[in-house]
Amino acid sequence: MSGNLVVMGVALLVWGLLFLFLVRLERRMKELEKR
Amino acid sequence: MPSNGSNSAAAVWAILRKECRSEWRTRYGLNAALLFAVTTLTVVSFSVGRLGNRTDILAALLWIVLLFAALASLSHAFVREVEGHTLTLLRLVASPTSIALGKLLFNLLFLLVLEVVTVPLFLMLMGGPPLSWGPFLGLLALGSVALAASSTLVGAVISQTRGRGALFAGVSFPLLLPMLAAAVSGTRAQWQGDPVGAEVRILAAYTAAVLAVSLLLYDHLWED
Amino acid sequence: MIWRVLLLVWIAAAIVAGFAWAPLVPVLQETTRVFYFHFPSALVTVIALAWSMLHSVLYLARRDLRHDDHAAVAAELGLLFCIGAAVSGSMWAKAMWGAYWNWDPRETSIFFLLLIYGAYLALRTSVEGVERRARLSAIYSVAAFVTVPFLIFVVPRIYDSLHPDPLFNQRGKADIDPRIMLVAFAMVVGFTGLFAWLLSLRLRLARVERRRLEARTTGSDL
Repeated sequence: MSGNLVVMGVALLVWGLLFLFLVRLERRMKELEKR
Repeated sequence: MPSNGSNSAAAVWAILRKECRSEWRTRYGLNAALLFAVTTLTVVSFSVGRLGNRTDILAALLWIVLLFAALASLSHAFVREVEGHTLTLLRLVASPTSIALGKLLFNLLFLLVLEVVTVPLFLMLMGGPPLSWGPFLGLLALGSVALAASSTLVGAVISQTRGRGALFAGVSFPLLLPMLAAAVSGTRAQWQGDPVGAEVRILAAYTAAVLAVSLLLYDHLWED
Repeated sequence: MIWRVLLLVWIAAAIVAGFAWAPLVPVLQETTRVFYFHFPSALVTVIALAWSMLHSVLYLARRDLRHDDHAAVAAELGLLFCIGAAVSGSMWAKAMWGAYWNWDPRETSIFFLLLIYGAYLALRTSVEGVERRARLSAIYSVAAFVTVPFLIFVVPRIYDSLHPDPLFNQRGKADIDPRIMLVAFAMVVGFTGLFAWLLSLRLRLARVERRRLEARTTGSDL
């Protein structure tokens, strides 16, 4: 059972990191467009 | 450059004759293609030997040899024009569709000549059960038209790029895949005495689709 | 901005639901969960391809380079999702049937989508000139659009000839627990949202790059 939770945790973590990466990309895009 | 050249069957016929004549003058392309086909065939026969009644492998190998020969030789139809700078001249006198159709017919003729030599040689070298002539020739004919149609379109596209032979093969293959699978499956079925109706229908529909879409797309090929 | 947070929550919720709420498929046991990644990836691959091809047609009809941007970017993203689907499917196959690759109909189809994407992108990199590149790749895309559907008819034949006794039963459509389908559907929606976000980001980048290029060639200050 706990093995499952570990995998779920990893999946959530990967998704969270991806999300943060994309948000950062967004910010940089906005900067590029302003210039 | 406006493509207001002649759009008639006469233009297509003229282009076909011109291609045949210029090819016949040197026969360079044909010789190279025949050499390539025979070489491939020799490699296959040498490595695998006679295959008796392994109809699945026989069918696959036959079409692989034909496919390779087509991919190696049909890319040059348009490259020759580009390199000889004769394309501009052609476009003055004929519409893109006529030019492409003329080249398509030439490619088809070229393939047929290739097959007249390669297929009997294949059957002699590799063995195999007796043919059901009707289905076999039908599949060969349909497959050849499909090969020619696809290669003409892709060849015209590739001639305007920096890539050449390898890119032509790589780009053609995904398009040709359904045709290859149907042809191999049908050829195998024909050798086993099974009906080939389904494969023939798929091949016919595929060929019709490629021809139809080509006719729509040829006009967009050259616009500078 | 609210959409991005919604997407974050949506996918996170689907992940949790997939592990904690939806049951396992008896035959698949723990590997069931790969389905929640593999299936949406494959679906988005097809959606991306359709989007790319649609814009190829639109480009040929209207000659607006923005359509070419869409076609190119959707193809790049589609390739990514396709690789994801192929790799996850292959690992799943290894876990379930002991072989990474089997040329069964689904694997074959995904592989050929990979080839189409690869050919399209390879073609794009070999053409000089923006308009010419747009035009030639659009032509190829339309040709592929016509030939790819035939794969649907032809692929089962390839498999049947290579594997007369199928290694696995196509998952029976009758018995899948609706909870599994619900999570899978949710993940499809989530992945599509992710694709849309990535698409918009890449498009904005392409637009900025083009504006920079134009500014430089016309000599104006930026």
